[in-house]
Amino acid sequence: MTDPDALDSNYYDGLRELLSDDEITQLGIFLCFNAGYHTFFGTLKFYPMYSPDGRIVGQEESERLYGAAPASLHSMAAE
Amino acid sequence: MTVIKPLDINDITDPELKELVEKCEALGVPGGEFPRIVARMPEQAKPLLRVMLLNFNEGNVDHRLKEIIRVQLARYSEEPYNSGLRSIKAKDMGLTEEIIDAGSGDYEDSEFFTESEKVALRYADQMFLDSSKVDKELYDELKKHYTEAQVMELGAFIALFHGAHIAMRSFGSSQ
Repeated sequence: MTDPDALDSNYYDGLRELLSDDEITQLGIFLCFNAGYHTFFGTLKFYPMYSPDGRIVGQEESERLYGAAPASLHSMAAE
Repeated sequence: MTVIKPLDINDITDPELKELVEKCEALGVPGGEFPRIVARMPEQAKPLLRVMLLNFNEGNVDHRLKEIIRVQLARYSEEPYNSGLRSIKAKDMGLTEEIIDAGSGDYEDSEFFTESEKVALRYADQMFLDSSKVDKELYDELKKHYTEAQVMELGAFIALFHGAHIAMRSFGSSQ
């Protein structure tokens, strides 16, 4: 995503040893559209709707809780 | 030549997808090559192409402005396939190459654009060049000229087509 020109034919030849062209297309499209939408969503300043202790919180409180830095909520994922 | 070969139109067996691919080519954008590449994943290609056609050709933001932004983003990405495409609808609406070029250049001082169009062009180029500059002040400025629904339409359009440009740049293009 940071340097699409680096993905040359040698890189794709390596991918083809592991994935079909249809799978490479699916993976590439997934990555590229996520890059576009993450950039857009990032400008909208979404904050998590749950506090670290699991309460539903509004955007203002969430901003106070999480601040400007992106935070992974992976550790709070349901088992 | 693309590293991922576009399917031949006759190899697309799903009639709904085939119709969508033909529509993409007939309208000029997103053209023929990109839809025939994503046709390799037919069940995902159908909603993807539908939303691209819907977001670009319909909605409540001037189609000509979206075409100027689309070319601006493709040129910033140095992506030849999408840079070379042109919307037939926008051309029929009077959009010229001179105005398209102005949108990719010093649009702030261009007489071709209204203040509202300049703000939209700024939104697109800052989203691409440095999204940290797409801040509350810029959204407040956008809201002076557009409804929130129109701002979201523009933002989704920029995100969608920027994604397509990165994809075609990485897959390569025959153009």
